[in-house]
Amino acid sequence: MSAVAPVRSGARAPDRTAPAVPRRHPPLRRRRTWAAWGFALPFMALFLVFTAGPVLMSFAMAITDLRSSDLRNPLAVNFVGIDNFRAVLADPLFRKAAANTAYFVLVGVPLTIGLALAIAVLLNTGITRLTAFFRVGYYMPVVTSIVAVAVVWRFLLQPDTGLINEVLGWFGIAGPNWLADTHWAMPSLIAMATWRSIGTLIIIFLAGLQGVPVSLHEAAALDGATGWQRFRYITLPTVRPTILFGAVITGIGYLQFFEEPFVMTQGGPLNSTLSVSYYIYNQFGFGNYSYAAAMSYVLFIAIIVLTVLQFRLLGDRDPRPPRRRRAPATPVARQEVGR
Amino acid sequence: MTAPPTTPPTTPPTVRSAVRPRRAKERSIGEARPQVWTYIVLGLGLLVVASPFAWMVLSSLKSEGEIRRVPPTWLPEAPSLANFSDLFARLDFPQFFTNSAVVATAVTVGNLVFCSMLGYVLAKSEFGGRTWLFRLVLATLMIPGMVTLVPLFVLVANIGLVNTYWGLILPFLAGPFGVFLMRQFIQGIPDELIDAARMDGASELRVFLQVVMPLCKPALATLAILTFLGSWNNFLWPLVVATSEEKYTLPVALALYSVGQNQTEYGLLLAGAVVIVVPVLAVFLLLQRYFVQGIAMTGIK
Amino acid sequence: MNGISRARVGAAVIAVTALALAGCGRGDGTEDGAAEPAAEVTEGAASGSIEVWAMGTEGEKLGDFAAAFVAENPDVEVNVTAVPWDAAHDKIATAIAGGTTPDVSMIGTTWMGEFAATGALDPTPDLIDPAGFFEGAWETTNVGGTNYGVPWYVETRVLYYRTDLIPEAPTDWAGLTAAAQSAMDAGATYGINLQPGQTGAWQTFMPFAWQAGAQLVNDDATEFTLDSPEMVAALTEYQSFFTDGLAPTDLPQGSLEPDFMAGKIASFISGPWHVGILKELDEAGMANVALTTLPAGENEASFIGGANLAVFEATDNRDAAWKFVQWLSQPEVQVAWYSEVSDLPSVSAAWDDPAIADDPYLGVFAKQLETAVAPPSIPTWEEVASVIDTELENLAKTGADPQEIATAIQQQAAAIGTGL
Repeated sequence: MSAVAPVRSGARAPDRTAPAVPRRHPPLRRRRTWAAWGFALPFMALFLVFTAGPVLMSFAMAITDLRSSDLRNPLAVNFVGIDNFRAVLADPLFRKAAANTAYFVLVGVPLTIGLALAIAVLLNTGITRLTAFFRVGYYMPVVTSIVAVAVVWRFLLQPDTGLINEVLGWFGIAGPNWLADTHWAMPSLIAMATWRSIGTLIIIFLAGLQGVPVSLHEAAALDGATGWQRFRYITLPTVRPTILFGAVITGIGYLQFFEEPFVMTQGGPLNSTLSVSYYIYNQFGFGNYSYAAAMSYVLFIAIIVLTVLQFRLLGDRDPRPPRRRRAPATPVARQEVGR
Repeated sequence: MTAPPTTPPTTPPTVRSAVRPRRAKERSIGEARPQVWTYIVLGLGLLVVASPFAWMVLSSLKSEGEIRRVPPTWLPEAPSLANFSDLFARLDFPQFFTNSAVVATAVTVGNLVFCSMLGYVLAKSEFGGRTWLFRLVLATLMIPGMVTLVPLFVLVANIGLVNTYWGLILPFLAGPFGVFLMRQFIQGIPDELIDAARMDGASELRVFLQVVMPLCKPALATLAILTFLGSWNNFLWPLVVATSEEKYTLPVALALYSVGQNQTEYGLLLAGAVVIVVPVLAVFLLLQRYFVQGIAMTGIK
Repeated sequence: MNGISRARVGAAVIAVTALALAGCGRGDGTEDGAAEPAAEVTEGAASGSIEVWAMGTEGEKLGDFAAAFVAENPDVEVNVTAVPWDAAHDKIATAIAGGTTPDVSMIGTTWMGEFAATGALDPTPDLIDPAGFFEGAWETTNVGGTNYGVPWYVETRVLYYRTDLIPEAPTDWAGLTAAAQSAMDAGATYGINLQPGQTGAWQTFMPFAWQAGAQLVNDDATEFTLDSPEMVAALTEYQSFFTDGLAPTDLPQGSLEPDFMAGKIASFISGPWHVGILKELDEAGMANVALTTLPAGENEASFIGGANLAVFEATDNRDAAWKFVQWLSQPEVQVAWYSEVSDLPSVSAAWDDPAIADDPYLGVFAKQLETAVAPPSIPTWEEVASVIDTELENLAKTGADPQEIATAIQQQAAAIGTGL
C-alpha cells in the first residue's frame, strides 16, 4: 500500500512520477470524472426522489386552485397559471408580513453573525481553560425546548415585574410593554431569535476557525500586529467561506422565521410580528393549499435573492481586502525574514 | 529561528498599528491579564444564554401550579420527581427512545457519508456542471419546508413506506445543508494537498478517505451534531408518517401526553423536554472536542 | 452538465409537467352535489378489526376503555392510536391526501366542515339517534345538510367570577357591566377579562353575537350574514368593556390565572378546563370562585365546542366502526368515559347520572349547554374565524367603529365564501 507522499515545499523526488501510470490506466481526467459521478450518485438518487419530486409537485400545486377539499382527487383541479402569485403580491396582509420579515432579516442576520463570530473567536483563542464548559453552555439555547424559552423570555419582557424593565428602571427609563407594543414586539423577537441562533453559529464558526494557522498569528504578533489587525487580516479571510456559510444559513432561517411569533405573539399585536412563514402556515391550516404554495415560492425567490447577494458580498474571490493600503511586499518581507 | 516556511496567504499586515479603537472584547493572544476579562465577559454571556435551560431543568421538578406562577420562580419549593415518574409510567419509553435513536443515527451517518462525498466533488473535482449542481442543491435548501409536506407524504404513501423506519429515514438522508457545509469547508483545504496525492497515483476514493476526511474532522463533528439534533427533535414528519404508536419517535410521544385541546400540562412537557435533551447533550459532549483538533497546516505550501 | 444535456433535462421536465397538467381540470362539479343517503349498518355484533385515532388524553385512555366494547362483541378487535393535538389537523389532512385514513377518528368540531368537504367522511346512518345529543352539539356534525359522525364530548363557556368582588352573579348585559364596575370600585384592577383579538378571540365574542340574536349565515349556509344590526350591537357591547377600562387590552400571556386568584381580575369567560388549572394554582382560593351561565342579551347563549367521532368513507369495516361509535354514545358509556377523562358528555341523558349531577361546578355547564350554539360547520370556517379575530383586535385596541368592523368582517368573509 503506497502511502501518500509527505509534501515538502520545493524538491520532489523525481522518480515519483512513474511514467508508466498514464499508459496502464485510462486518462486520469476521465477516471476522475467517473469517480466524481460515483461519489455524487447516492446523494443524487435520494435527492431526485425525495426532494426534487415533491418540490415539482408542490410547484404544480401553486399553479392550480387546489384546496383541502380536493385532497382525495388532487388532479381534478383547474390550472390557473400565475393567478395565485398575482393574488399573493396584491394581498395587503402579505405585504405587511413581507415588510416584517425584511425588518427581521436585515437587523437580525448581521447582529447574529457578529455576535456569534465574536464569541467564537473568544472561545477559540481568548480562553484556555473550561473551554468545553463554555462551548456546551453557549449551545444550550439550541437544545432548550421552545416552551421553556418562551416562559423565560415572557418573564424577561413583562411590563411590570420583568427583569429588563427592572434593570431599565435603575437608569430611570420606563420600559414599554414589550410584547404588546406594536413598535417593540418585533425587536423583542429579534433579540430572542438571535439568542436562540448563536449557539449553532458558534460551533460552525469554531469549526471554521480551526483552519487558521496558529503559526501565522504568532508571526504577526511578533511583528507587533494588534489583536484586531490579526483578526482582520489573518482570521477573517481564512474563515470567509465559513462566514458565508453562516450568513446564508442564518439568512435562510430568518427569512422563514416562524417559531418566535407562533409561540410568543401569534403574529400580533395588530399583525406587527406576522411573518411570511406564519402567514403561510395559517393558509395551509385554512386549506388554501395552492395559495399557500404560491406564497411559499414567492418567499423562495426572496431567499434566492438574499443568498445571491450574500455570495456576491462574501463569496469566493481574491482574498486581498480591497480597501487596505498595501505596503510594498519586499521591505516587509525583508523585515520579517532578515535576521 | 528558521525563516517561516511559507508566505502567508494574505498580504502581511502593516507594521505600524493602525489607529483603530480597540473593541473591548478583542485583546491579543498572550497578554495574561485580559484573559480574566474574557472569562468575565463570556461568563456573563453564558448566564444570559443558559438561564432558560436552567429554568427548564429546575421547573421539571415543580408542581403544575408552581410552574404557572407569575413571575416565574427559580428554585422549586418542594422538588420532586413526580413529573418524571408520571411521564415514564404513561410513556412506553424504551420503544420511543429506540425509534428516535435508530432514525437519528441512521440519518446522521447517512448525511455524513453522502454529503461529504458530494461536498468533496463539488469543491475539488473538475467536472462540467458542478456549479449548477451546487446551485440546485442549495436551491432546495431554500424552499420553505411546509410546502413539500403533503406531496412528500403522498409520494411516500404511494411507495408504501408509511409507518416504516425507512419512511422516517429516507427523505432526510440527502440533506442539502450537509452538502453546503462540507463543500464550504473542503474548499478551504489547499488544492496542493489533493493534487499531490492524485499525482502520486492515489485513486479518488483514497484521496477522499485518507487526505480529505481526516482534515475535515471539525466539519464532520459539526455536521454530525446539527444533523443529529435536527433529526432527534423532528416532530412533524414522524407524526405524519407513523400511523401506529409503535413507530412514534420521542417528540411525538411527548406531545401526546402534554398538549391538550385547550390547555397544556406544563409539568409533563418540561419533564419531557429534559428527557429529550439528554442524548443530544451527550452527543454534543462526545463530539465537541473535535471542534478544536488543530490542523497542522504548517509546511503545506 | 454541458449545454446539451441541460436542455434535454429541461425539456423532459416540461414534458412531464405538461402531461400531468393535461390530466388536470375539475369535473362537472358533481362532487359538491347532493350527498347520497347514508347506507345502512347491518344488525348483530361487530366483527373484524377497526383502527381508531384519538388525540391527547382520550387517545391514551381509549385503548383500555374499549375493552368493554370488545367484551360485548368478542369477534371485534379495536386498535387505538393516540395522536398529539399539536398538528393533529395536519395528520388527518395528509392521511386523506395519501389514502391512509383509519376507520374512525376523533375530529375537532371546528374541523368538521373542512374534512367533510373532501368527501372523506361517511354520512351518519340511521343507527344513530340524534335526539339524545345536545342540539348545539348535533349541529356541529351538520355540513351542508348532511350529518357526519357524532358528537363525542362537549365543552362550553361560562363566566368565572370572584364572589368576594362580585357578590351576585349578573344575569344580563347591563348587570355584567355594573358588576365589573363595582368589582373595580372594590379594589380589582380589572372587572373582567375578555380576549382582545388574536387567536381564538372569536370563541369569547360569539356568545355576545348569539345573545344579541345575530345569525352568522343564511339558512342553507351558502352566504354570510355578518353585517347585521344585531352583530353591531354585540360588537358595541364587547368594545365597551375595553373603552371603559373594565377589561385589559394587553394582559401578558399566562397572567390570567395568577391575577384572577390574586383578586386583580374579577371575572373571565372560559370553559371547563380552567377549574382544574385554578385548583392546581390555589386550592384554598377556590372558596372565593364561582361559575355562572353567561349573562343574557336578547336571550341566553354560549359557544359549544368539543370533539366529534367520524367514520371515514374509505373504511374497510363500516359496520364495526359505526357500532363502536354508537356504543360510545350510549349514556352509561358516556358517564363511564367522564370518570376516566373528565370529558363532558355530549348525550344529555348522561348528565342525570349522580357522578355528574352532584358535581358543584358541572351544574352550571349543564345549564349552559341547553342554550349553547355551534358556529356553522362550513369548510372555510377556520379562515373566517381568523378574520373575525383580526377585526376584534382592531375593535378592542384601536377603538374602531363597530359598524365599520361588521362591514369589514362581512366583506372579507364574503370574499372567502362558505365553501358550500
